[in-house]
Amino acid sequence: MTATPPSATPPSGATDALVVDRLSKSFGATRVLDEVSFSVEPGRFLVLLGPSGSGKTTLLRCLAGIERPDGGSIRLGARTLAEGRTHLPPDRRELAMVFQDYALWPHMSAAENVAYALKRRRPTKHQSATQVAAALERVGLGGHAERYPHQLSGGQQQRVALARALVARPGLLLFDEPLSNLDADLRERLRVEIAALTRESGATVVYITHDQAEAFALADTVGVLEQGRLVQLAAPEEVYQRPASPFVARFTGLAGELDGQADGASHAGRVMCATAAGSLVATAMGEHGDGAPVHVLLRPAAVTIAEDSGEAADASHGLSGTVADTAYRGRGYDHVVELADGSRLTGVFDRRACPRGARVRVTLDPDGCFAYPASSSRPTGAGQDAAPLSDRTPVEVP
Amino acid sequence: MTDTMLTPGPRTAAGADQASPAGPPRPGRLLQPRVAGALRLLPWGLFAAVLLLPVAGFLLVAVSPRLFDQGDAWFTWAPFQQVLSGWTAHALLDSLAVGAGAALLATAVALALAWLTERTTLAGQGLWRLLLWALLLAPSYLESLGWTWLVEPQGVLDRLLGQDPVWLRSVVFGPAGVIWVLATRGVPFAYLAVTALLRGLGREFEDAARTHGGGRLATARVVLPMLAPALWAAFATVFAESISDYGVAATLASQGNFPLLTGAMEQSISTFPADFPLASAMGWLLLALVGLALLAQRRSLRGRSYQVLSGRTRPARRARLGAVRQTAALVGVGGFFLAAAGVPAFGAAAASLLPSGGKVSAASLSLANFRHVLGSGEMMSALGYSARLAAITACAAVVLGAVAGRALARQGGGRAGRLLDLLLLAAIALPSVLLASGYIFTYNLPFASSLGIDLYGTTTLLVLGYLAGALPSAARLLSGPLGQVSDSLLWAARIHGRRPAAAWAGAVLPLVAGSLVWTWLIAFCGTLLELPVSQLLAPPGQEPLSVAITRQLQGYDLGAGAAMTVVVVAGALVLIGLVLGALRLFLPTARRLEALA
Repeated sequence: MTATPPSATPPSGATDALVVDRLSKSFGATRVLDEVSFSVEPGRFLVLLGPSGSGKTTLLRCLAGIERPDGGSIRLGARTLAEGRTHLPPDRRELAMVFQDYALWPHMSAAENVAYALKRRRPTKHQSATQVAAALERVGLGGHAERYPHQLSGGQQQRVALARALVARPGLLLFDEPLSNLDADLRERLRVEIAALTRESGATVVYITHDQAEAFALADTVGVLEQGRLVQLAAPEEVYQRPASPFVARFTGLAGELDGQADGASHAGRVMCATAAGSLVATAMGEHGDGAPVHVLLRPAAVTIAEDSGEAADASHGLSGTVADTAYRGRGYDHVVELADGSRLTGVFDRRACPRGARVRVTLDPDGCFAYPASSSRPTGAGQDAAPLSDRTPVEVP
Repeated sequence: MTDTMLTPGPRTAAGADQASPAGPPRPGRLLQPRVAGALRLLPWGLFAAVLLLPVAGFLLVAVSPRLFDQGDAWFTWAPFQQVLSGWTAHALLDSLAVGAGAALLATAVALALAWLTERTTLAGQGLWRLLLWALLLAPSYLESLGWTWLVEPQGVLDRLLGQDPVWLRSVVFGPAGVIWVLATRGVPFAYLAVTALLRGLGREFEDAARTHGGGRLATARVVLPMLAPALWAAFATVFAESISDYGVAATLASQGNFPLLTGAMEQSISTFPADFPLASAMGWLLLALVGLALLAQRRSLRGRSYQVLSGRTRPARRARLGAVRQTAALVGVGGFFLAAAGVPAFGAAAASLLPSGGKVSAASLSLANFRHVLGSGEMMSALGYSARLAAITACAAVVLGAVAGRALARQGGGRAGRLLDLLLLAAIALPSVLLASGYIFTYNLPFASSLGIDLYGTTTLLVLGYLAGALPSAARLLSGPLGQVSDSLLWAARIHGRRPAAAWAGAVLPLVAGSLVWTWLIAFCGTLLELPVSQLLAPPGQEPLSVAITRQLQGYDLGAGAAMTVVVVAGALVLIGLVLGALRLFLPTARRLEALA
């Protein structure tokens, strides 16, 4: 990935590396965090992505000091926040957090909410007023300082929460799904503001979300959590283009899945797969011997369709299918295509509409088709999102 | 990129021999949450043992008198047979009839009142709600005393009219009077149950009935059954409250020679020698009746869903009352409150102002009774004693109630939460007279003394009795507001640099201060004038206020008792006003949030 250059304005609070080592946490018999290890360099933006129940909220609460981990350690620069019997209380960790429900104190005005967080720096009255006004101005709420939370819209409330988190210039900023309660349009605008403001502050950021589009858009690094384990930690592009496991591939958006056998051994990272829907070339995820069962996962961006001319030459490449549904998306059309074996590909985009029932040729880009050994590729979704991961809205990375 | 990346994820696969500080979970770690959970419950277990176990012991004596040296039989039904015959059977039937009558009347009045205040443009809504609160807070014996002072021989009416109101007295000192007083006490409970549902019952059900051709009457017939859960709840609550009420049994009913179960219980304990097995059997019956009422309410709703609140519910439209209907409604509602609160208040005020003897004229009205009361050491010491105990009880109830209420709100679904919920519900449903009887009995047993628990006949036991009455409702009152304060508000304060106490004081206290103060006031006023526990548990040589006031009923100093009542009620009102005023002055946010809610 392209490394984001450090901010021009260093924060007043020291920005230190966050190092999490073998962090574990159980609730009763349920292991919620299973030896999670990662580190974030100063000023970098880490997004932890995972379905509900994957342990991301618990991980964030451990970082904040709200939960006490059972094992492992958390260090921020030279300071140990948690290790063994050491458990620094939240008020001594020198961090700030934006909560999912905003957690604005309803009896305080916007300015009072922000000033409350600044008090730890023991500013003079004048300094406090100036910095609070500047923080509110920075989030576009300069004219709303005296309003109470109930007099502000959801987006404005979240901006106050953002100003409150930034005002004391903490070394570590935590975000707990801060955009999940907002509508789509507002979410996009606030996402841009969060990205700009946090990078400007220079703080190290840990942000959790279950929205892969949000994760890819914000992160320097994305960590994917599955049932309490960190299964991939990499740049967004790498997570999308080289998903470490079928789970990661599914969670970051698929058009469909096909079962088949390797037709010949894998070579130069590619493998030929024979499936009931037809033959295709896919990126080999692991070693495949000739005839070994494979499970192929297809990114929506890897699928293109063209009308089936019915000529014999056409049958030599791609798969054939029938359009089962067409949905207008403004800049083009999303199609659901039923393949010869009855399996379906969803979210297949084309600028032109193919009518329902039309015969089409499906062309696949091998870069977006991942062939995993069949044994490793079964969904492991127990206790997680009820909807199959392949039904998630696909994202497209340009 | 690799610059922020360490080897991610699970390392357990790397081999079991790898040194791991987390390692496999140690047995101690697995036990920890359970032990911690048990420790959290321990104080409540202890508390339940101190407050509720005595009642269990008392209930045991009915079936096994020998166990407590109260008879020869190890196991017997005799006390129950005794209760179900003779005058106690009469008292049981009276209680049943009076309870059912009061519940029916209160439910009907509350339904009409709720409909008028929630669904019409009735004038004076704030006043009516205030009066309902007054009815809810005033102990039942005060209303009984108001009527008594009015109709008794040489009472207010007798002396004002110059004629003994024999007919009215026979009505008041009989089933009708008892039912009326209990029903008026029950109306606020029933009103709360009905309005809660009526508010949520949106306009769409009425609209649907009207658009499908229903007239006004047909629409009412469609909507009324939807109120069934609230009506059943109202009926069951008022029934349970009425049959376990002691204030009316000790005043109106006892004077009218109309025995009620709670009065009979008190009598069998107060007479010498005390007949505990008989009182215990009556306690069983009382508890069974309360339980049956609540069970009947639950069963009546089984298999039927009455969910009427949804995201699409639209606020109901208020019917506009024309001049004639408005007047009629005001006369009806005003008449009810006049009879429920105005007449007894007039009785008390007049009795306190009338001279102790001689001819009555406007000129003869005087403040002599007030001067006498305020100058009398006996009455003032009773007031001081009760005020002290009420303050202690209210403080303890608020602190413990806040902790229990918080636990209730946090662990609502869990086993601990359900257990706590059950304990509180049991304590609320427990009639005060049964509670006090249990305390008298158990803490007087020789083994209590041998265990070093010498509480019998002490002010501590009286306070414990008060607390057992006040704590459950305080916990329930506080569990709502405390449960509404999101955890994240407190954590946000901690994360932004506040220590636990400062975080709580800054982020949570201002949000719940109003509820804490209200709960304190309710506990204080309720304890200040509490009768059954005071009557049964007052230590020798100390007379709580309610006991001193009801003693005046014996007739030898009518005016002083009435004057004392007026002084105390006025004092309580002033206190409520002062405290709420101070709250608004010093914590303006509490008021703003109240308005918001």
